[in-house]
Formats: sequence, structure tokens, C-alpha cells
Amino acid sequence: MSIHASKLFIGLVICSTALLSACGDSESAGPTTVRLLTHDSFVVSQPLIDQFKKDTGISIELITGGDSGAMVAGAVLASGSPTADVLFGIDNTLLSKAIEADIFSPYTATEADSILPTLGDDTSGGVVTPIDYGDVCINIDDAWFTEQRVAKPTNIDQLTSATYKDLLVVQDPASSSPGLAFMLATIAKYGDGWTKYWEQLRDNGVAVSGSWTDAYESVFSGGAGDRPLVVSYATSPPAEIVYAEEPKPKKPSTSVLTEACYRQIEFAGILRGSPNEEAAQQVIDWLLSAPVQADVPLSMFVFPARQGVTLPEVFTKFAAQVPAPLQLPAGDVNAHLAEWLKTWGQVMGR
Amino acid sequence: MGPGDGALNAPAWLKWTWVIPALFLSVLLGAPITMVVQHSLDAVSTFEWSSTLHIAALAALQAFTSTCVALAVGLPLAGALSSYQFRGRALTQALVTVPFVLPTVVIALAFRGLFGSLLQPGFLLVVVAHTYINLAVIVRIVGATWQQLDSREVIAARALGATPFRAFVSVTLPQLRGAILSASAVVFVFCFTSLGVVLVLGDSSTRTLESTILRESSLLLDFPAAALTSVLQLFVVTAALLIGARASMLRTRATPILRIARAPRPRLPRQRLFVYAIAISGVAIVLVPLASLALDSFRGQGGWTLQWWQSLTSIDSGTTRLGSPASAIAVSLKYALISGLIAGLIGVLAAMSVLTHRLGRAVALIALAPLGISAATLGLGLMLSFGRPPIDLRSWDLLIPLSHSLVAVPLVIAVVLPTLRATDSRAATVASALGARPTRAFFTAYGPTLRIVLLAAGGLAACVSLGEFGAASFLARSGDPTVPLQIVRLMQRPGDASFGVAAALAMVLVIGTVMLILGVDALGRRRTAR
Repeated sequence: MSIHASKLFIGLVICSTALLSACGDSESAGPTTVRLLTHDSFVVSQPLIDQFKKDTGISIELITGGDSGAMVAGAVLASGSPTADVLFGIDNTLLSKAIEADIFSPYTATEADSILPTLGDDTSGGVVTPIDYGDVCINIDDAWFTEQRVAKPTNIDQLTSATYKDLLVVQDPASSSPGLAFMLATIAKYGDGWTKYWEQLRDNGVAVSGSWTDAYESVFSGGAGDRPLVVSYATSPPAEIVYAEEPKPKKPSTSVLTEACYRQIEFAGILRGSPNEEAAQQVIDWLLSAPVQADVPLSMFVFPARQGVTLPEVFTKFAAQVPAPLQLPAGDVNAHLAEWLKTWGQVMGR
Repeated sequence: MGPGDGALNAPAWLKWTWVIPALFLSVLLGAPITMVVQHSLDAVSTFEWSSTLHIAALAALQAFTSTCVALAVGLPLAGALSSYQFRGRALTQALVTVPFVLPTVVIALAFRGLFGSLLQPGFLLVVVAHTYINLAVIVRIVGATWQQLDSREVIAARALGATPFRAFVSVTLPQLRGAILSASAVVFVFCFTSLGVVLVLGDSSTRTLESTILRESSLLLDFPAAALTSVLQLFVVTAALLIGARASMLRTRATPILRIARAPRPRLPRQRLFVYAIAISGVAIVLVPLASLALDSFRGQGGWTLQWWQSLTSIDSGTTRLGSPASAIAVSLKYALISGLIAGLIGVLAAMSVLTHRLGRAVALIALAPLGISAATLGLGLMLSFGRPPIDLRSWDLLIPLSHSLVAVPLVIAVVLPTLRATDSRAATVASALGARPTRAFFTAYGPTLRIVLLAAGGLAACVSLGEFGAASFLARSGDPTVPLQIVRLMQRPGDASFGVAAALAMVLVIGTVMLILGVDALGRRRTAR
């Protein structure tokens, strides 16, 4: 055996031993650590977490549970003996499944009355706390419509007309969260007529992508594609500015169709069986506190659930305000989702 | 036990090498599968058989086509790379492995960018992407056997007047049959259980059971239905792998060669043309989609820019999203190192036990299963069995590298077994005859080969871990995300910067992988060139 190879091998063994022992340390965290289970998209400014520790002595350890669905699935399977103390990021489509599985320990936040009244309807009697909300809407590539001298659509009924043939891309509701929200929006709007609407969309050449990324980056003309209408979020235009190349453009090249938007609310709750329930309550209060709520827009591109929080300028200027967002009762979604997805698949041939 | 048998004149302790892989598999594989099967029973009466079976049939057709195309492209490349020595051979071999390691989402988007409106999502695009990703499987598995073939037989056939093609068909091909079948089985299984590629590049004709499992488990939270679909998928996959495994157990006609000989340089102009043409087209196939990604990492609205590379360390700084991509790289390397070590050891032990114990064969067969136990199934199984009391391993940090190594073990076995088989055990007999103890004699014969395969296997497993195969994304984790996860997250939000930085980070992954494979291959070569 050559000297190099044996050295490398001994090196590998030593390194991995060191790493393994380093891994072991995290388990001996003290009682003042609250484990916060979130989905992959959770972001908050680090100084807020540091400040919280300074104020209360509680450290927050973030645990990522995959996308929102995988995170909830894990929490449901572990109901009663959770890996974490607090769960953040369950939305109104999955909430009633989680309530059914009894994964939460009820808690009403100290400042619960600061929450926007419309968001409080569906907290399952104060079991969970709304933290933020966002609307899924059709986004418009303004430049395309100016160039082609076509009027921008103002409601989704028009999308079945010849003017907008082959212009829209949506996501498969079975594999994409905004895709699911848009399907639910059509059900909320058209009731039993929703399948007919999709038949018309299909006949009018709607494109279906498997994921938001593909729809927005590859098919939408705001990305690399050629279709000027895409299902996305009401906050995508400000995100376009924030994540743009320097020098940042003065205004986004996309706008939002504010009719038939579906409202997604994200909740936080204490996981039943948490050994740190009291500290977990403080974390829920912290998530609803003014500083964290003010951080939410630019970190996650959603709106704060708390009233009276000053929004960043890029939001007040470019994020769409949706006058009448659509929503379905959580119980209905829970009862019919499987059937709706199947019907959608049959209509669209997916 | 003749030398052609590959059976060992073994020291006593060697009979027990199967125990460690068996333990490893029964905990990490046995428990999850048992739980999945148990849960699946609840769904039998309400299950939608016809639509599920329809999807299974579609997936089988797609996987079969993808496998055939991958063989057609991969075999010439495997031949050129393993029968000739030429400048740029190591780099070619390393580059071919890259697509296998990149996150499927990245590859899918690169293909979308490359073909644009030329090739719409559908059957053809999925087959092309699957071929691209699985080229490495064919080249590596078939190549490992091809390298061991005694070139003197072909030379003899040529001397007796056979054309090169004739010599290939009647001398080389029969000896490769086992390796080709086992590589095909692996590729078939990967394509049959594909998820990321079919989501982005597919349409209704390319659905897989995997996407159904995902919908049932993490959207409808219907765990019994997800479990039953998993069991169905498992059934098909096991059948395919068994066929492949049987083939790889076939005795090869190869006369073992005492030393792993150095491949010759192509001498005739015609040979040279053949080898370089194949190598160059192989590299081109691999590089073209990657090149579009590389360009994306340097392209801004106003022309060329270094912004995305510069903001690799600064984008999202000060938030919990991204400490820095440097930390993501560190996390990925840590997992790669641990999984490489574990999978290398377990895989080599399992391969050795095939040669030394009756039970070894069974263990090695079972060890192939993780190939087909798709990410969604394994994730579901791990959650069901270790995600709640009495055995709660969720907060155990080793679970992620362990799940990576579980997926890497079968690949390691596939590479190691043919090499071990072809190693001449006569050296051990000679050493024993000269009075060496069995252990000493064993290492005289197998030591050099073992060291090569251990390093190569560890490197391969590390690559798998770097590419972060499936199941781990279903496990909750604390700490910074890995590079692939970070790329996917960046791509999930609007803005040129997100896309540009994701492309730059993907290039970091490509470069890291190429360097890792070059390093491992170089170590292997130093060994053989003694």
C-alpha cells in the first residue's frame, strides 16, 4: 500500500471521527432551547433570533422538514411525540388534516387581538396562530402586452377567450403549491362549474408545468419562455426587484391580475407533547411580535398577519393589494381534495 | 474452487464479513420496508388499482426505452474509456459522472433551456434526460468489467482473421453480458422511479408511481395508499434487480489476469480516430447542457457579469436562509465524507461476502434493494419506523449520511464485485503453499485490489452523497442546508439574482464532483501502475 493512500485513509478516519463527535454535541442542548420546525422556505433575519435570546434566554434551533407537505406529513406521523416544540408554516390547505391528527397543543398568543380580523376565522378555535399570508394570483408580463398591443386581462373569465389563446401557464396542483391554490381559487369562484372552466382553459391552450420554477423560469415570458401569463404570487413583482441584478430596476416588469386570487395563510402552533411548552409559547408570541412581523415581507415575500406593521417601500409600491381574495373552508378542502385532484387530472389528461 | 470461480482460499474470519452489511441493511432497510408493507394493508380495499397499474405500465415503457437509448450511447463510451489509454481519459471519465450527481431539477432546467420550444415536455425529452443522467451508470459498471478483460483474446481473434466488429461480437460481448444486464437493470430502475425529471420534463405519458406516492404521502396525507403504491413499485423494481443480479452472478469466461494490466494506447490511425471520436462526442454530450448552465452563471440583463459568482458569499447574508454557500459546501462535504466511508466499507464487505459465504449472496442481493426503494418510499418508511416512538432517531444527525450511504451501497457493490471476481486467487494459493498464514495469503492476493476498490467505492459513494439522493430530503434536519438543497431553494423564487446565483452554485457542485472523481481515479491508477 502506498504511503499516500494509507495517509489519506487514516486522515479520512480521523476526520470522520471528529465530525461524528461534533454531531453528538447538539443533542445535549439545555432546556432553554426551543426547536422550531419549519419548511424549506422559512427565512428570518438572524439578529432577531439573537435579540430574542438576549431578551428571554431562549435559543431557537431551526429544524427543516422539507417542503410544507413533507413537514406536515412528518409531524402528523409523530403526533404526540414531536421532534420539535413549535411548528411554523402549515397553511390553510393542510391545517384541518393536522388538526384531525391532533398534532397541536392549543395556545392563544398574548397579542392575538393584533391579528388582522379576516385571518382569525380559521384557526380551529385558537389552536394555531396566523403569522403571515400571501395571495396566489396570475402574474402578467407587461412588456409582452405592450409590444403585442393586446389588453391585459382583468379577470380570469377572459382567459378562455380567443384573445388569450396559448398565453397562460399554470402548475400541476398535485405537485405544486401555487398550482393547487389556483385550482382551489377556480373551485371557490365557479363552484360546481369549475370543471367546465378548466375544460375551456384546456381547449384554449393552457400549458401545465410540474413546478413553479419551471413555469416561471422556462415557460413564462418574464423568464426564458414565451407565455406572458403565469400563476405566481401577488408579491412576485417586488421579489423581482429585490432579487434583481445591480443596478436594480426602478420598477418591476411584471404586474398582477388581482381577481380570483387564492389566499394562503401560514400558521404556527405548539406541537403536542413538547417538553418546553412554556418556552414554546414565548416563541409563538415572538413570531407575532412587531419586529419579526416587520421582517417577514422582505424575508419570505408574504404579508404580516399583524395589523399596523409598516411595510417596506418596495411592497407598498409593487406588491398587489388583493381586494377580495378567495378561500375555501379548511374542512371542505380536507374532505374533497383527493377527489378534486383526480377530477382535475381527468379533465387535463395528466 | 478454481481460480475462474473467483472463490477464495479464505481465512476463517472472512466467512463472517456478511454480518456487518446484514445488520446495516436490516436496520436501515428492513425496518422501513416492514412498516411500509404493514401500512399498505389498510389501503387494499379502497385502492384505485386500475389507474395505478396504468401508471406503472407507462413508467415501465418509458424506463425500458430510456435504458435502451442509454445503452446505445453508453456502451461505445465505456469501451473507448476502458480498453484504451489516451490523453484526457481520466477527465472524460470524471465528466461523464457529473450528470449523475447533479440535482435532477438543475438538469431538468438546463434541458429546458437547451431545447427551448424545439422539444416540448413529453416522452422524448424525458428519455433524453434519463439517458444523460444514467450514462455514468453504464460507463462505470460495464467499464469496470471491460477493464479486466484480457486483451490477448481479442488480439488472438484478430490474428486469426476476425474483423474488429466480429472480434467484439464473438469475444468481448459475451464476456460483458453480465455487466451489461446488471447495468441495464440499475438504469431501468432509476428511470422507473424517476421524480424530478418527469415533474419538469414530462407530461401525462411519463407519469411514474413515484409522483403518485409523493402526492399521496405529502399532499393527501393518505399514508396507507402511499404505502401500497410503494409496495407495487417495489415489486416491479425487485423483479428488475433480480434479473440484473442473476446476470451479474453469471460466471464470466474471463481468464483472470495476474496483474491488472495497463490498457494499451490506440496505435493504428483507425483506432485513434475511433477512440477520440467517441471520447469527444461523449464529452460534448455531457458538456452542452452544462455549458448552458455555466453561461447562465455569467449572464445578466446587460451582458456578461461576475455578479452571481461574487454574491455567492453575500446573497441572503444575515438571514437564516443561507449562512453562505461556503457553509453549504462544508455541510455537503461532511456528509459526503461520512457516507463515502460508511458505504465504501459496507459495500466492499458485502461484495467480499458474496465470495466467501452462502449467505453473502443473499445479503448482496438485498443490498441492491435501496436502488429501487425510491426516495419517497424510503423517506416514508424511515418516518414510519424511526420518526416516532419507541425508536426515535429523527434528531440523530447521522441519519442523513446513513440514508445517503444506503443508496450508495448497491452502486459500490456493482463496481466492486466484478473486480473482486476477476482477481486471481492463485496468488493466495501460492502464498499458502509457501507457508503464509491464511490471512496473510489473503491479503497478498486481494490486498492491492481491495485498496483500489475501497477508494473507488468510497469516492463513488461520496459523489452520490454530494448529489443528495432522495430520501434525505424527507428527513427533518437542523443546521445549514446542503448545496443541492440550496440550489433548489434559490431557484424557487423570482429574480435574476436567484437564478444566477443558483447557476453559479451548481457550477461549484460540478467542479467539486469532477475534482473528487479525478482524485479517486488517480489514486486507483497509481495502484494499478505499480
